[in-house]
Parts: sequence; C-alpha cells; structure tokens
Amino acid sequence: MSLPRLPLTVIGGYLGAGKTTLINRLLREDHGQRVLVMVNDFGAINIDADLLVSADGDTMTLTNGCVCCTMGADLFMAMGDALDRRPRPDHLVIEASGIADPARIATAARAEPDMAYGGIAVVVDAMHWGALADDPQIGAQIRGQVAVADLLLISKAEDGVPPALTARLAALSAAPQIDIGDCAAVAPLLLGGLAPLQGKREGGGHPAYVGWSHDGDEAMSRAALAAKLAQAPQALYRIKGLVAAPDSAGWEVQVVGRSIEIKPALDRVARTRLVAIGPQSAIARADIADWWSQG
Amino acid sequence: MSGITVFQAAKIITMDPNRPTATHVAVRDGHVLAVGDATCADQWGRVHHDDRLAGTVLMPGFVEGHSHMSETCFWDYTYVGFHDRIDPDGQPWPGLTEIGAVLARLRDAAARLGPDEPLIAWGFDPIFLSSERLTRDHLDSVTADRPVVVLFSSGHLMCVNSAALAAVGYDRASNVEGIQRRPDGEPNGELHEMAAMFPVMRRIGMDFRTRSHQRAYVDAFGRICRRSGVTTATDLFAMVTQEGAEALAQATARPDYPVRIVPAVSTLHSTPEEVRAQMADLRQLNHDKLRFGAVKLMTDGSIQGFSARILWPGYVGGQPNGIWNMPPAQIHATCAMMQQAGIQMHIHTNGDEASTVVLDALAAAARAHPWPGARHVLQHAQMMGPALFARAAELGVCVNLFANHIWYFGDQHAALTIGPDRAARMDACRAALDAGLTMAIHSDAPVTPMGPLFTAWCAVNRQTMSGRTLGAAQCISVPEALYAITMGAARTLKLEAEIGSIEAGKRADFAVLAEDPLAIDPMRLKDLPVLGTVIGGHVDALI
Ligand SMILES: [Zn+2]
Repeated sequence: MSLPRLPLTVIGGYLGAGKTTLINRLLREDHGQRVLVMVNDFGAINIDADLLVSADGDTMTLTNGCVCCTMGADLFMAMGDALDRRPRPDHLVIEASGIADPARIATAARAEPDMAYGGIAVVVDAMHWGALADDPQIGAQIRGQVAVADLLLISKAEDGVPPALTARLAALSAAPQIDIGDCAAVAPLLLGGLAPLQGKREGGGHPAYVGWSHDGDEAMSRAALAAKLAQAPQALYRIKGLVAAPDSAGWEVQVVGRSIEIKPALDRVARTRLVAIGPQSAIARADIADWWSQG
Repeated sequence: MSGITVFQAAKIITMDPNRPTATHVAVRDGHVLAVGDATCADQWGRVHHDDRLAGTVLMPGFVEGHSHMSETCFWDYTYVGFHDRIDPDGQPWPGLTEIGAVLARLRDAAARLGPDEPLIAWGFDPIFLSSERLTRDHLDSVTADRPVVVLFSSGHLMCVNSAALAAVGYDRASNVEGIQRRPDGEPNGELHEMAAMFPVMRRIGMDFRTRSHQRAYVDAFGRICRRSGVTTATDLFAMVTQEGAEALAQATARPDYPVRIVPAVSTLHSTPEEVRAQMADLRQLNHDKLRFGAVKLMTDGSIQGFSARILWPGYVGGQPNGIWNMPPAQIHATCAMMQQAGIQMHIHTNGDEASTVVLDALAAAARAHPWPGARHVLQHAQMMGPALFARAAELGVCVNLFANHIWYFGDQHAALTIGPDRAARMDACRAALDAGLTMAIHSDAPVTPMGPLFTAWCAVNRQTMSGRTLGAAQCISVPEALYAITMGAARTLKLEAEIGSIEAGKRADFAVLAEDPLAIDPMRLKDLPVLGTVIGGHVDALI
C-alpha cells in the first residue's frame, strides 16, 4: 500500500490576528490525528509541560502524537522533510508569516503528488482587519490574503462579527466566514476530521458543526465527480474522502470552502467513503445526504 | 617569534592616507609590520626578502560586503546564462546568446552524466534572448530518458522536460497555478514559483540548505574569492543551524583558507534576550577567518521583479507596488529589538519606500535605545537619493549600493521598471559619498558574479549593457571606488581596524594585481587581471 498523501492546511493572517492562539487550540484538542505544525517562531507556542514528551531546539513532541517545529531555512524543503518523516504525519499545518501570501505555500500541496490540498484558513481579526486592509502600505497584501482564503476564521468578535466586516470580506472572497469564538473545536475546520462525531464527547453544550459521512458502492468519472462537488451545499466547510471510479483506481477528494481538489487515488478505492462538515446553524445532515444521493 | 618577510612589489596602493603608495610591505605573524621601501622593517630585526610579488601591484585585499556562499552550490550544475562566467576552478563558461547554443551545451553535459543522474542547468536568462521561448520539446530533444531541469537566473522559474513533468505527474488535468501551458492545455515545461517547482526539486535532490557550509563548497567559495582579489566576503542571509555553523567554522579554520567569512544570519527570535543568546552561541565559533555577529533582514523584493516597494510614481508599466517580506510594523519592532540587543543589522531594501520605512524604524530605534556605534547597513538601497542619504548620515547608518545593477539591469530599469529619470539616479554612489556616508558597493553574488574591480568599474563608468552611460552625475572617481571595495566595505562590517588598508598593525591581506588601477584607463578597470591574493601573509598561488 502507498503511503497516504499528506494533507496541508495553511493558516494565514496578519500579526496578532490570532494564528498562534488557533494553533495552541489545535494542538490541545482531542482530534486523534498526528498533526505536524510548522511555525515561524516557537516564542508564542505555549504547551503545558504535562502535554510535552520532549522539546529540543526546533521541535516539540506532544503526548497526543502531534509535533510542532520551526520551518528553518527553507519552507519548501521543510515540507519535503515532513513528507519524509516516518511514520508520515496525518496532517501538516503551516503558519504563514504575517504578511505572506498563503497561496504561495498552499499551492505546493496541489503540485506535490505526495500531498493533498487541505486549504487556506485565514484568521481575520474583527477589531483591526478593516484598518489594516485600508493601510496604504500593507492593505493590498492584507486584502490579498482574504482573496485566496478557503475559510475565513474571524477572531476577537466577542460582540459578534460586525455586519460591515462580513460584507467587506464577502466582497473579496466567497469563502465561508466562521466566528472561531463560537466554535467548540477548531480541528474539524483545519483538519476536516470528524473526531467529535465518532463516539467522542462533543464540545461543551453547543456543537457548532454538523457532520455527515457516507459509505457506498457508487463509482464516478472525474467529470461526474467534479460536477457533483460543484453542486455541494454552499454552507459546507469541508468534504474529504475517497471515491471509486469505473475505469481507474479512483479519486481522492478534498473540498475546502469553495476549493475543490480531485487527485487520482494512490491505491484502488473499493468503496466510496466521504465525510463532510458544516455549521449547524446553516445546514442539516439531511441536506448533505440529499445533495449526495440526488441523481 | 616568527620571522619577518618583506614583500617587494612594483607598487603598493595602501589606502592609508599617511602613506598612499609604497614598494615594500613587511609582514610578521600574519600582520603588516611596516610599509615603505626595502629597508622598512630593518629596525625590527632580521628580515627575509620575498620577491615573488615583485612585478605586481598590491592593494588591500578586496572586501565583498554583499555576497552569498550559495554561489558554489550552483556550480554542481551546468551554467547556461547569457553572460560569460568563470567557475570556482577558473574555467570560463562563455555566455549563451541563443537557444541553439543552450541546447548544445546541455547535450554536452548530458553526455557526461551517469545513467540515473538528472541534468540540471542554471542561470538561464530569457530576457536577453531574442529567439523563441524555451520549452519541454527543446529539452526532450536533449534527452528524453532522464529529467532535465533548467533554472532561470531570477530564481522564480524553471523549464523542465517531459521526463521531469512525468516524475511529478504534471499533465493537462493538473490544477496547479504556476504550470504554464501550450494552447492545447498540455504543460509547456515552464514552471513558475517555488510551489510548482518544489516537487521537481525534491525529486532531483536540490536542497541547498546546508550544502554551502560544507567543506567542498566552502573551499570552492574561497577559490572564487581568491580569483577576484577578495580576502573578506560576507555570507548575507545565512540561515544557519548549529551543525552548519560548526562545519563552516572548521572549513574556514585552516591557515591557508583564502578568505575571511562574515555571515549575517537570519534570525527568527522575537526577543532581544533570545537573539543575544543565539548570537553569543555563534560568536563562540569565531576565529581569524570567521566572524559571526550580525543579522540580515529582508524587507522588500527586487526592482526587476516588480516586487520592490517603491514610492510614487510607482512602476512605469502600472504594475502594482511590490511585496513586503516583513510588514512595516514588524520592521519597526525588529529594528528596535536588534538595536536594544546591540546587534548590527544588514537590511535589504531595494525600493525607496522600503528604504524610507527602514530609516524611520532605525530613527525610532535610535531614540529608544541609543547606540552611537550601531552602524547598521542598508543593503542594495538602490533608489535612495540625497534626502534619504542625509537621513542615513544623521543616524550613522551605512549603505552598500548594488553598482553591478547599472550594467546588468540598467537598460531594463530605464525601459521597463522605473523609467529613465529614476534609473539615472539609481545606486547613487556620488550622492552617498557627498552625504558623507560610509559606502560599499557589491555584486550580490551569485546574482551577478563576484568581482570588486568590475563593481568598481560600474560605479566609475555607469555603463549599461547597451553602452549608454546611465546617470553620469552619479559616477565616482577611481580612488573613491577603490576605497569603497576596501575601506568602505570594511567599515560596513566594522572590521576597518583589522582590514581594508595596508598599514602597520593590520592583517596582511592583499589583492595581487597585474597593473596599477590608478594608472590605467578607467574603462579598463574591469579587465585588470587579478593574479591572486595574500591572506594573513600567506601568498596564495598566483593564477
Ligand atoms: Zn543578496
């Protein structure tokens, strides 16, 4: 069997937007995946000592199997190192530096045959984003980050996301806008996993997500699959899985926000298995099931 | 006590105003003991006269204030650039001016490869070629049974053959930005930007991260320096691991290693204490030939790549303003932190907006954490004019101007990037000196070949490739240019007490020249043969 592809999710957003807070949350959550997180600087990563197995110069290993490391001299070569790790991590998360174009990094996951595109999540600080986006020096780069996002994660919106911000972001990007203050867990957003729905305890009282999973024997051509995914309910954050094909090994699917990625499966797909998540406020499990089952 | 050697030369240009020229220099313990005539060291005891350099002209060893040791890694591959270039072993590689010649050289290289070796070439620069575009078909005609990869000189593009495309599975169905296509939708072989190039590079083993600090590459860098008369060179923006730093320290430590290396490291630390601790660790490795201590910051991109941050009226083609590598707020924070930590910064700024922001940040840092001897250096600083230079002077900031750009890119800057008005005042050496600044000039090797005499020629003559004089008012004199490649650059590295001139007490580092640069036609400066170097009194075999 081939090694599974390594999905890459890039976290973008300006300095102070809340990327590190998000990563600290991800590393602590009970998502059951061995996530490798690459950051620019360890300074702000804050892991309780009892969660740490070891910490040396540029790598921290956690008791839950996650690893956090700095990317060093060359981000792309560091991605190569991540691919060469054995066992290969289940998911790679890269924190883009504050002004960076996250697409420049995420595109590598589309290009690299051993990686899967896990999307660009851009953290938007509800209090400061508007001013930054209007800044004559950095505004264009700040708006550019939103334009390439697959998911927009709104931070610091204690009193709700201001409608003006919502409208402005929507004008730049069709990506779903998610108030991360409201989310019970960030792992489903960043990793696309459904751990909370697989028998584990759901987050405190108000699970923000609805999950759907499917196991069937349908086989689809690439074109048919692409057409199907293009009609997926707008509100879905993520879809991923393997789809059988009539005359090839099958397909590996990663949908993040409006981005649809289909790569040929590395091993023969016997059964079509998909999972999807969306916000409970906007979509019901039956809506997702309807979309998939309709001819 | 070791002996005294008195070297005789046809002429010694000292760069010491107290004795501008001489015929003899006495060396003891790797340092200059005395300068003058044959008797200059007689009062110090028995001397040994050495006439190996008797017919040559000696200058202080040249100081390259902005170069990168990664140059040597590229020479593992086949050079296919437009300009003539010399490899570390002294073999000339004539520039290739049309695609047929590029393909011929590739075929030649392919014939010499082992069975499974990929064919990798570098330095390709299509802007200068008028012939058709290089495609996978051309490269398939070189060889179809192994990957062929041609790296473009900009570093942002490559062209590959069908075998390389197949190795990474790029085809008409690939949904990857950066894969350039033929009209029929098939990839044409050109790949743009790292994300699309990285899968190819990964499969052919192109990982430069630590290579340039390994022994063989450090040695090759030494040969490049010796050939161009350089006895002190920077490795600017070295991202070092402790292991790499130790390897570099070992490789440069032997007595006849021909060049002193001054790395400016990139740092990711965000507090003064952490940076100080990192630099203290690195400084432990320092010796005569290795000087850790400074850091490098990248602020914007390049002018020819339209990624430099420039002020009004922007790029002549209406391209959007460039890209910050560090947002201005972070430039401010980092400058303040480094200033507080007492760490000298070499700060890459190409566009005038970037230079302005950096000067603002340095002014604020200087108010918050006064440090009169900070001597931070703006590197490239290609669009600074008198007003910005005056601010730099007020702050005690130095500049290292990219004089080689005038010849290599001057025509393009006038025609395509910033237009003739601003191109004529680029790399404004005259204005920088008039502002009283400490100024160096540089090659940014491997971006352009290392060669301080060529760099000096550029600053003196301001000729472009098409033969125009770009901004005659910014030309400087030959003595000023020679000062810039010796004492000027030494000052930007805070090493002027040790190197940069030939005078008693300094290290015996010399450039050995065939002719007197002050006596020849300034237009011949770039052609003046360098015969070798002397490092710490050790004469390196004459070339
Ligand atoms: Zn450089």
